[in-house]
Amino acid sequence: MSARRSGLLAWARALVRPPRGLKVTRAGRTYLIVTLGVGLGALNTGNNLLYLVLGLMLATILVSGVLSERCLQHLEVRRLGTEAAYAGEPFAFRYGLRRTRGSGFALMLSEDGAKLEGRAFVAFLPPGEDLVARADLVAPHRGPLELTGIKVSTAYPLGLFEKSRVLAAGDRLLVFPRRGFTCADPAERDSGPVGDAGNPRRRDGTGDLLGLRELAPFEDARRVHWMKSAAAGKLLKVEREREERRQFLLSVDPGLRGEALERRCEETAAQTRQLLEQGHEVGLDAGGLRLRPSAGSGQHRRILSALAWLGFEEPS
Amino acid sequence: MIAPSRVRLRLALRDLASAAAFASIAVSGSVPLWAVAGFAVGLVLSLLGLRLLARRGVVAAVGLAAAAVVLFSSTLRGSLDLVVAACSFAALVTVHRMLSPPAPATDNQVHLTSLLMITGGAALSGEMMFAVCLAMFGVLGSLSLSLAVLEGAPGDEEEVPVAGMLRRVGAGALVALLGGAVFFVAFPRLSWNVAARRTSPGLGPATTGFSDRIRLGGGGNIKTNPRLVLRATLSPDPGRERLDAYWVGRTFKTFTGREWLGHGTARPPRQLVTLGPSARDLVHQRIELLPAYDSRTLVALEPAVMVGNAQARSQTGTSRASLVEVTGEEVHFLEPAVAYSYHAYSLPEGSTPQAAEPADLADYLDPPPGLDDRVGKLAKQVVGGERDPLAAALLLRDHLRSNFRYTLELPGEVEDPLANFLFERKEGHCEHFATALTVLLRAGGFPARVAAGFYGGERLAGHYVVRAGDAHAWAQVYVPGQGFVSVDATPAEGRAASPSATWAWLISRYEELEALWRTSVIDYTLRDQADLARSLVRPPSQGGRAEGRLPDSRAWLAAAVLTLVVYAAWRAGKLRRRARPNPLASFAQAIERALEASGVERFEDEPLEEQSARLRAAGHPMAPALTLATRRYLEARFGGRPLRQGEREALLSPLRRTPARRAA
Repeated sequence: MSARRSGLLAWARALVRPPRGLKVTRAGRTYLIVTLGVGLGALNTGNNLLYLVLGLMLATILVSGVLSERCLQHLEVRRLGTEAAYAGEPFAFRYGLRRTRGSGFALMLSEDGAKLEGRAFVAFLPPGEDLVARADLVAPHRGPLELTGIKVSTAYPLGLFEKSRVLAAGDRLLVFPRRGFTCADPAERDSGPVGDAGNPRRRDGTGDLLGLRELAPFEDARRVHWMKSAAAGKLLKVEREREERRQFLLSVDPGLRGEALERRCEETAAQTRQLLEQGHEVGLDAGGLRLRPSAGSGQHRRILSALAWLGFEEPS
Repeated sequence: MIAPSRVRLRLALRDLASAAAFASIAVSGSVPLWAVAGFAVGLVLSLLGLRLLARRGVVAAVGLAAAAVVLFSSTLRGSLDLVVAACSFAALVTVHRMLSPPAPATDNQVHLTSLLMITGGAALSGEMMFAVCLAMFGVLGSLSLSLAVLEGAPGDEEEVPVAGMLRRVGAGALVALLGGAVFFVAFPRLSWNVAARRTSPGLGPATTGFSDRIRLGGGGNIKTNPRLVLRATLSPDPGRERLDAYWVGRTFKTFTGREWLGHGTARPPRQLVTLGPSARDLVHQRIELLPAYDSRTLVALEPAVMVGNAQARSQTGTSRASLVEVTGEEVHFLEPAVAYSYHAYSLPEGSTPQAAEPADLADYLDPPPGLDDRVGKLAKQVVGGERDPLAAALLLRDHLRSNFRYTLELPGEVEDPLANFLFERKEGHCEHFATALTVLLRAGGFPARVAAGFYGGERLAGHYVVRAGDAHAWAQVYVPGQGFVSVDATPAEGRAASPSATWAWLISRYEELEALWRTSVIDYTLRDQADLARSLVRPPSQGGRAEGRLPDSRAWLAAAVLTLVVYAAWRAGKLRRRARPNPLASFAQAIERALEASGVERFEDEPLEEQSARLRAAGHPMAPALTLATRRYLEARFGGRPLRQGEREALLSPLRRTPARRAA
């Protein structure tokens, strides 16, 4: 019964909602004020030429509405998505457009209803051709964003009004936490280095040969390659890759809420990036959600996704 | 980076739209010359791309402020109309903006000031050229604005077919013009009439030069002016192409030796003025004095017996006009107006008028002071012993016509213009001939006077029109029992207008258009709207047409148009309501039909892709073809990679051929 009622409400809302949105631009406001003035002048003076000017101005508004409507018809738009969306910074979001009939001019695409700033602009869309438009969008907060529709608008032909229509297209955009600097040291490592230095990138491991270089003061003399040093006439040190990696398990207190949770998520995201860039393996412990330490860009994305979902419904 | 050529085109269109707007106020002839020159120079510089005020903001602001002070003070002094001053200032602001660096705000300001100029032009001018300027402004401004819309996004570097877009917007602008005309016709004329303005006579100032005096030595350039000043509908219609008639406006009694003056007494205003005894078979004239006439004196075919039922046309509409008779001289309108119309009755051509002797007849014998003695001798020599006034006048007329030459070239200021004409130059224009004949008649003892008006009448669109160049002067001699009878001494080639044929043809066409403009636009009123609506609803019955059961053809036409409109609306609504099936949906249905025909089992609500995966896992023989078809279907429908021509059949045919060896 309630489903039926909500369906009826949705139907009623759709019925009441105007099929097109209309926004008056700054130039359009001036134009409307002048039109009003001309109309008052015509009524006041009875000057037929003012009636003529008024007629032209009003007819121009109507023609502008018809041309912009034609621009918004026969339009197919789909989301091509983005590589990654981080909160608080622009990310490229692509749309695929196509007109089945007629050309489109000065089309602007944006997300309807979602808290996303920015839009894509297409100056010309020929009929029957696929076009990819890029929008630089900005999401203010991390988390999943439900996308309900794509808003296509145009100020064509005169820039006096901006007419828009919403093409229903459900989707979800996961916004990763804001990328920032790490404000705290990484958590305690799970396993320490096997070699003689903490940095896995240090060229003093026991793996494959990387190269030779002159021995610096206070360096371990056991790594000197004696035959090469004899041939070169100076002490040369052997550099080998490290094979060991350190593992970190970053944690987010499940009890955090609000701003504290946001800060912790951003901090954890930044630490994750830093540690992964250093070659470590990073995992995440966020209460019910636990990711085993691992390395690589895939792990980076998994952790960011998990952080983006924290505080929202669990990812399926 | 936006294509520079597109930006240049947009700026040029913007500037030309502004020029059209400025022209709409300039045609009124009331904008100061320095403002016209300033705008012209600014326009040229802007079209050349020279933004001279880009780094001279302070200088430009000071200049604008100075111009504002000059215009405002001129308005306060009363030497400049407020609307003219405002329009002139708007023009200067437009120039300032045009010569500034292009920017969206600058462009909008140029368009705004242009729009204000157009509005000012509507208030200042009743010219037909205003319509041309308005149309040009509408089209060019729309094109410029549309190009600006394409530059809405930073970094826009797409290739845009500008020509195609401009064609669309241009067509839209033309539709808007038509829509504006429809609005103009249909919008009810409910006017408060608080601040109406008088319109100008069109094509510059009026040139008839009708005044209360004739000064010998005045210019004769008016003979080449083809402007229409009078339009008359005669009843009965003579049917001739050229009327060659005298249209008298006023007469003069007193000659000072240099000029003719009127000294008549004005009588109280009336609606109807009787000028002479009535008779049968009068020629009825419905006369329109056009704006170029610019005088209040009534004109009628000679000899006129009655004028009345006059109406004055002003910016606020048409109203009844009162007439003032100046005894023995003229009838003029009491109030000034842009144009007039009235009815006049005159005696038919060739009839003999009956008139009583005027009380001041002796005054028509007065010679001018200091009259040259040779004039009297010449009169005696030509007239001889003839005592009949008309015969004497004809003798003198013939003498003047045969011994004197018509010319528009004047000697300039001379002490005695009449003696100079009669005894030295022996050439002059109609005023010289009329004056000479009148003074010679008076010297011979015959009462006479000078009449001024027009000579001619040219058929145009069913009416007779008189041009400014038809202005003429002639003599009238008093004949006892008949009153004053016209005698024209001017040679025939000097009576009517003498413009070039091409120029006269062009002017005639222009005047026709202007007449249409004035009647259909400038003077369009609520009554016209009511008439139009009435004629649409109830077409007037045509006289002589047999009454039938079938409606008028216009009713059929209106019904046909209405039917088409309703059908188009219904069709558009139907097309909008009918959801067009996606062609790819039929492709999916064809796949499903092929699977069904092969006996492949399908679970309830199982999507195509899941069914495909299940069959592939089960090693079904149809799986490879089905997988390919399903993938292409999904790509085409949701991935933006449409099916190529013939691909649909190529994908379906293996499914139709593959035997179903076993069920999934």
